[in-house]
Amino acid sequence: MKPPKFEYRAARTVEEAVSLLQEAGEDAKILAGGQSLVPMLNFRLTRPSHLIDINKVSELDYIREKDGKLAIGALTRERTIERSALVRQKFPLLTEATEWIGHVQIRNRGTIGGSVAHADPASEYPALVVLSDAELTIQGPDGSRTTTWDEFFVTYLTTSLQPFEVLTELRFPLPKPGSGYAFVELARRHGDFALVGCAAQVTMNGKGTCQEARLALIGVGPFPHRSPDAEAMLKGQKLTDKLISEAGQKISEEVEPEGDMHASTEYRRAMSKVFTERALKKALSRVQGGK
Amino acid sequence: MKLEGKYTFKAARQKVWDVLLDQKVLASCLPGCERLEEVAPDQFEARLKIGVASVKGTYDGKVRILEKHPISSYRMEVEGSGAPGFVKGEATISLEDKGDKTDILYSGEAQIGGLVASIGQRMLGGVTKLMVNQFFKAMEKKIQ
Amino acid sequence: MAATTTETAQRWVGRSVKRVEDPRLLTGRGTYVDDLHLANLHQAAILRSPHAHARIRGIDASKAEALPGVVGVVRGKQVAELSEAFPLGVAAPVRYYSCAVGKVLFVGEPVAVVVAKDRYTAEDACDLIEVDYEPLPCVLDPEKAVEDPTAPILHENVGSNVANHRVLHYGDTDKAWAEADLIVKTGRLVFPKYGSTPVEGYAAAAQWDPLNQAYTIWSNFHGPFIMHPVMCRALGVTEDRLRFIVPPDIGGGFGIKSSVYPYMTLMAICARVTGLPVKWIEDRREHLVASSSGTDRVSYLEAAVKKDGTILGVRMKIYDNCGGYIRTPEPACLYRATGNYSGAYLFQNLKMDQYAVMTNKSLTGPNRGYGCQQLYFGLERLVDQVAYDLGMDVAEVRLKNLIPAGAFPYTTPSGGIYDSGDYSKSVRLALDMAKYDELRKRQTAARASGKLYGIGVATAVDPSVTNMAYITVAWTPEERARKGYLPKAGSSETGSVRIDPSGKAFCMVNTTPEGQGHETAVSQIVADELGMAIGDVHVITEFDTFTRTWSITSGSYSSRFASVGASAVATAARRVKEKVLKIAAPMLEVNPQDLDVRDSKVFVKGSPERSVPIRRIAGQAHWSATLLPEGLEPGLQATCMFNFPNAKPPDEKDRVDSSQTYGFIAEVMGVEIDPATGEVRIDKYVTVHDVGTLINPMIVEGQVMGGALHGVAGALYEEMAYDESGQFLAASFMDYLCPTAMEAPPIEIGHVVSPSPFTVLGSKGCGESSTMTAPAVVANAIADALRPLNIAVRELPMTPNKVWKLLQEQKAKGVA
Repeated sequence: MKPPKFEYRAARTVEEAVSLLQEAGEDAKILAGGQSLVPMLNFRLTRPSHLIDINKVSELDYIREKDGKLAIGALTRERTIERSALVRQKFPLLTEATEWIGHVQIRNRGTIGGSVAHADPASEYPALVVLSDAELTIQGPDGSRTTTWDEFFVTYLTTSLQPFEVLTELRFPLPKPGSGYAFVELARRHGDFALVGCAAQVTMNGKGTCQEARLALIGVGPFPHRSPDAEAMLKGQKLTDKLISEAGQKISEEVEPEGDMHASTEYRRAMSKVFTERALKKALSRVQGGK
Repeated sequence: MKLEGKYTFKAARQKVWDVLLDQKVLASCLPGCERLEEVAPDQFEARLKIGVASVKGTYDGKVRILEKHPISSYRMEVEGSGAPGFVKGEATISLEDKGDKTDILYSGEAQIGGLVASIGQRMLGGVTKLMVNQFFKAMEKKIQ
Repeated sequence: MAATTTETAQRWVGRSVKRVEDPRLLTGRGTYVDDLHLANLHQAAILRSPHAHARIRGIDASKAEALPGVVGVVRGKQVAELSEAFPLGVAAPVRYYSCAVGKVLFVGEPVAVVVAKDRYTAEDACDLIEVDYEPLPCVLDPEKAVEDPTAPILHENVGSNVANHRVLHYGDTDKAWAEADLIVKTGRLVFPKYGSTPVEGYAAAAQWDPLNQAYTIWSNFHGPFIMHPVMCRALGVTEDRLRFIVPPDIGGGFGIKSSVYPYMTLMAICARVTGLPVKWIEDRREHLVASSSGTDRVSYLEAAVKKDGTILGVRMKIYDNCGGYIRTPEPACLYRATGNYSGAYLFQNLKMDQYAVMTNKSLTGPNRGYGCQQLYFGLERLVDQVAYDLGMDVAEVRLKNLIPAGAFPYTTPSGGIYDSGDYSKSVRLALDMAKYDELRKRQTAARASGKLYGIGVATAVDPSVTNMAYITVAWTPEERARKGYLPKAGSSETGSVRIDPSGKAFCMVNTTPEGQGHETAVSQIVADELGMAIGDVHVITEFDTFTRTWSITSGSYSSRFASVGASAVATAARRVKEKVLKIAAPMLEVNPQDLDVRDSKVFVKGSPERSVPIRRIAGQAHWSATLLPEGLEPGLQATCMFNFPNAKPPDEKDRVDSSQTYGFIAEVMGVEIDPATGEVRIDKYVTVHDVGTLINPMIVEGQVMGGALHGVAGALYEEMAYDESGQFLAASFMDYLCPTAMEAPPIEIGHVVSPSPFTVLGSKGCGESSTMTAPAVVANAIADALRPLNIAVRELPMTPNKVWKLLQEQKAKGVA
């Protein structure tokens, strides 16, 4: 478990990172927190020619509220997000999602940008990017561009990031007043990759009617699953147990999970219903003041 | 790992058949194919770089077309080995008329051995199917 | 309460003394194999088979050999030239080498070794080796490997996949079956394959001395040192040409590291081929794929019972999966428990029809609990089935069949001599601690509200310090009676104690500790015997076959420390004390028998003010040896090689006292199952242990907790899983789910103390502990939860997916 040979370069600015990527060529990889990349290197699953270390690019380490959005620099550590009072106050779903990521030691190093760019099908942050239609800012040789999840996530571990591009910022629209949230997950052990996970955010009006529901599931496909149909079923309705169950059913019929030694396709499909229901109920209870 | 599926190509059966078995098309549609040389009729030596994103392994091996029943079915075998272990796959591909289109049905097995099987469990099934899809999607493009 | 290291007033044994090795281990000051530095030391990396079963048509290592920094590539061909196949414990002519020769039989089997200037280069070179394999069909299920005529044969020259088959018959099961009111059956039980996950994997470094034609090997091998002669035979050298050195620290073992010896052999060959010292440090992937594990086992059990719940007899049919090659000491997994096959129960009629089978999985060997977790999973599921079939309570059936307290020492039908115990008291204590009746009421209420709550009970006789004779039960009595056969029997260990000129004690033990706290326990024992503070007792654990007095059975395995290691060191200390008193007697003008030791002084019993410091005695022994009382040798030291008189060979009826002390475990567990997800949550876990005298209760409880979690791991989490083509699926901690502190259930521990009459201190081993019972008690509790739905539990681990699937199947039938 020793990595094959690679060249190492460290950048101090985004601009420098982009130019180092260009110099290195198409087989280079960005090293952020390294919590997925380093094990993959040691297993020799990946053999990049160069590692471009962005850990010293401090301009990418921030959490700010801006124009009704929470803007987070790509190099912000997961642990920083977990402990951020601003995040907890404005977008507690992100706090809750963070708590599901691995273990403290992993969160101390892991970064939000790294997690989203790595696009593991069981990762928590991509689910929130999908759920909240977050904007992703990407910097490349020709300047910066902004994209959203439907363009960004391509398939397993694959995004539309081009070889010389760096993901720099994620902007999450803040939930509207009257919103409740939940991130629930099924894993074999604490900190394991989710077999199935569901993020939910529901916004209720004063009369107990659902104004908006957002759902994103992980572990059930190549990247997080969003269900416009299930969300539409909930919109404008009272969220009864029956309706919640129907939304869960809808999602379980939509997803196409793959099985592995821990969870079969059938099991993941069934759990997508169970965890959609659990997430919705928990989110709803939080609108009503529950913990 | 069992693989099974169906595609509908917008072309007549003969045309689909010809494209599917064209060496150049095969070389450009096999996922990660870096080299494909015919060493005997319907037998090729290949270098395949298989995987997703930066997680890829290079395998040297053979591609064989067997049991050709023009224009209705054939069997394709792919096998290779490399530092991460080995890959092996075989599938029977059948063509059926469907009006002016052609249905392609495939059914077979794929096996990945060694490193990737032992630590890549979580995504192996999905990625394998993804590559099969890539193959047929690429073929579809060639036909259109 | 932890005690300080300077007190001497009270006895140390029996107190929860803080572990003296911990400051060193916790501050990173341990010394492990990887801390070894030799001049010109080179590193090895091993190329392993990606195939479960394949012929090797050729190996092209030319590119690897050409890589700068590579000094050699060793292949099976050289291994077969420079070593013999390892000696086996069975008659089947299996040829097992440290590296594949001609064929690979499991994923992960070594195929070639690269020796290079560093590990990076060695691994780069492995990537460049091209191996031409001809894949062959594989077989993974041990029952299928024996019973299915179409199953591939792994070893053509053996002719079948059976490495060993014995039918052991004790008492008369035909009679029991004739007298029974009812025959109870478990159906097909499947016990999973799992290992131990020591923090440090295997490690071995070897050096070849061409002048003396001798090998020196450093490794974290923890015994049994019977592997020393085994390796000598493989390497074709006499015992004086093979030196084993074990460093002071080993990062966990749990039995698994007794199987490092093939790698020690392989590194010896690499050192010989390259002429350089060579080191290999196993990485985690290698450890999971190919180090060692317990066997997976298919078994069918039946009991002949009376209506009142009395068990008259038991029959077991067992297929034990030893993987590609039967590696010594296997098939010991089948025989380690010979003396305690009947567990805690009184029945006298027992038939074991057992196969050790070879399949295309990785190799097996000792794994904490060795053979007992498999045995008790079957036996305890069977006893539950007896209760189910008779409509009795599971605790009641057990209490009815336990060996009574007055029966000790009790000889089992298979020859075990249970030294001491009070099984009913222990079971009742466990039931009381768990508030069993209350728990049953809670269960009734939970069931009424649609919840799945189950309560499990399990017991185990916990054998420690094996008599190596048990392994020979694998041979028939006729084979053992053949001319020239040397019976193997014994269960010995050495302890040495010396007092240095300053009056401090040094102790040497051959128990190669892997973190169990032997230094602490030995300090306690010797401090008591010599009237010292434990801080004045130094324990040396590093081991060297050239400089130590050791025995073939030395080492750390079968929980033998507290039985035999403690007895040896206590006896040696008593001998030293005897000499101390003899030297002191003329100084104090009394007879030695009038003297005792305390506070590092020798004093006159009844007149403690008349005393002489031990330091003074030591001074005399070392500095003034000629003036010692007549008949006393200079110096102040003693060595004891302790053995047990009951450690005899098996008799003509295959009866053997396979272990020399037998503890007892009684457990009660409550589990709640989430019907939506199939997740099992352990709500209550009570475990009661009788380990005889507790030398250090804190250490005992640490062993109990670790053992319990290890057993829970096998029951709910860990599995060395393979797909149908023999690919290994769990080569990282992503998929091999070793539980962490977060998964550890709360464990309540109780003690019953029945000192062993056979050990010096009355102590028994306790290192394997609940590894033997946890799988059974988890299975029983889950079975109890699912019984109302008519779901049987016949396999482990019970993963959420599996439980959910069982629930779905019943739902489909309209039961749930």
